[in-house]
Amino acid sequence: MEKFKQLVENRHEYAKAWKAKTGGKVIGWFEPYFPEEIAYAAGVLPVRMLAQHEPDTISDKWVYASCYPASDLVNMFLKGRYDYVDGIVNVEGCQWMFNAFEVAKNTNPNLFQHYLFLPDYTDAYTSKDVLRSELEVFVRKMEEWTGNKITDADLDRAIDVYNTNRRLLRRIAELRRADQPVLFGSEAMNVVLACQVMDKAEMNDILEKFIEELEERKPAGDRIRLMLLGSETFDTSLEELVEELGANIVIDELDNGTSYYWNEVILQKDRLMALSLRYLGRPHNPIKDNNWRRRPQHIFELTEDFHVDGVIIAKQIYCHLHGSDNYAVWKILRERNIPFHFFERDMTMPYEETEQRLVAFMNMLRPGLTRLVGWHQPMTI
Amino acid sequence: MGQTYWKWPESCWLSKEIDWKKAEKVTAGVDVGTTSAQAAILCDGELFGYANIRIGAYFKKAADLVITQAMGDSGMTLKDIGAIVCTGWGHRNADYAAKFIDEVHCHAKGARFIYGPEVRTVVNLGGQTCSAIRLFDWDRVRDFMMNDKCATGFGRNVEMMCDYLKVPVEEIGKLSLDVNVDPEPVSTTCYAFADTETLGLFRQDFRAEPLSENEVYASHLFAIAWRALGVIGKLQPLDVGDVTVFKELGFTGGLAKNPGVTERIERELKVSALKSEYDPMLAGAIGAALLA
Repeated sequence: MEKFKQLVENRHEYAKAWKAKTGGKVIGWFEPYFPEEIAYAAGVLPVRMLAQHEPDTISDKWVYASCYPASDLVNMFLKGRYDYVDGIVNVEGCQWMFNAFEVAKNTNPNLFQHYLFLPDYTDAYTSKDVLRSELEVFVRKMEEWTGNKITDADLDRAIDVYNTNRRLLRRIAELRRADQPVLFGSEAMNVVLACQVMDKAEMNDILEKFIEELEERKPAGDRIRLMLLGSETFDTSLEELVEELGANIVIDELDNGTSYYWNEVILQKDRLMALSLRYLGRPHNPIKDNNWRRRPQHIFELTEDFHVDGVIIAKQIYCHLHGSDNYAVWKILRERNIPFHFFERDMTMPYEETEQRLVAFMNMLRPGLTRLVGWHQPMTI
Repeated sequence: MGQTYWKWPESCWLSKEIDWKKAEKVTAGVDVGTTSAQAAILCDGELFGYANIRIGAYFKKAADLVITQAMGDSGMTLKDIGAIVCTGWGHRNADYAAKFIDEVHCHAKGARFIYGPEVRTVVNLGGQTCSAIRLFDWDRVRDFMMNDKCATGFGRNVEMMCDYLKVPVEEIGKLSLDVNVDPEPVSTTCYAFADTETLGLFRQDFRAEPLSENEVYASHLFAIAWRALGVIGKLQPLDVGDVTVFKELGFTGGLAKNPGVTERIERELKVSALKSEYDPMLAGAIGAALLA
């Protein structure tokens, strides 16, 4: 577990070392729909701009009342934590990340920057063509910026590396379906986060070995099986708290969790169309799931496949995407008698408050859950 | 020192009919909340003694004091109590308790004791939190919702406002109902905004028809009821369909004794809450003792 957590924590050092080793460029991306394969095909290292809470003295001036991940990103960017990034890209998505992107762009005019439009109506008749043309523009801009021609062979190689990564992550997800999974939710989340900030080819080797280790591991015992929904988070404090209380998050439906790797690129002659279809066909977040056509059903299928006892919906305060789908998601969960608990959190999760509500929720799922007094002592079921 | 309007009366009681030494099972529940602490002692499932005190700044002291007061002069000591369960936000201060059970389950269980087995929806209006609990017909929690950080400011906020406005905390609720029409509630975003806005209502001499004092109280308490309604509204609907129906509602917590809040909630939900002779503040402690 520590290995992947450290990879996430040391992501800035990793990217700097990668640059020194390869002489390549690093591009930071804000939104989960960013087509990393194109950047990778151009020889650039795409890294997710992950927020990390630090005492914030400057972001309020720029992005007042944004969600905390977005304002934390601004804070980090202005403090120079991302000074190794040579370019930034945002994909049409949430307004707060767009604000963070704009601040990063305007305060660093020398950076390569690109805004990629991705239709909100993802399953409209012309959406795939619109996105394909946007990808074509992005390919041209990347070629101009890097001076490297992106050939079909480059794209094939990149798609292969990314698909391999997705397949490996799906293998890890499958291990979480076991009655007694061998890994915890926090560990799984750190694995996915690490994948977003590292060279995928290098990461794939690490994942291969990790899966071998997992197959030898002993299960963590009988625990309440939970699913995590809601806004993106860039730490695993909630997962860790859940584990401390005697449960385990066996599946999530977060943009930077399973949704990041759930579907692959199905190759076709027109590589950009293949990419367009992949990103339009991935599990959507609320802003891209027009008319709630897919997301509630996808959530329900995950609850079934992973045999969850209950669902935690943790929304970031000021997140304007999540919460708008309460009607559809709550409805589908209630119709199927799947217990859930909804609450709002921010970047610094209040331990006491969250613990109180989670203990109550777990007690609701498995009555008789009590804890010996003394806060270091684990829950007994 | 002048009158402190926020100080609600503390209480303790000891049964004269029950001989605890003859009881087969003696259990206790201690609910250390954010503004008050309660302890309840049960002998074979019957209430033997209780105490209800204000906390102030000393949680540990309050947690020790409340159980001592509940035992009173009965001769009982902590060793005589078979099991002690603590609950509430300050439960860690009751280090003499054997185990902790969450406040949702304690209030649900306590509400069934106080209001009878028919209670289906429990609304805990606490010092700084509000939770709404939906129960199955049997003794299981079906769903619950708790307020988030920005919606705090329930009981403690009323206490503070009573000091600002110089009106006794036991009277503000009744006074707030003595209005022809409820004015618009003050800000429901957070209690700090609400307080500023409420105090601002007294300064509005420029208004053609300034609000009376009672109308200002009504405006403030309506905002609290509104916030509680937001929490209640998220609960799982009782009946099939999208319409949430509230039946057999029971209030617990300190604000349950404030009709300015409870009657406004009842009016909006179109229900009459269940009544009981027990102090609704004791629900958490009684529930904890029952679950011990």
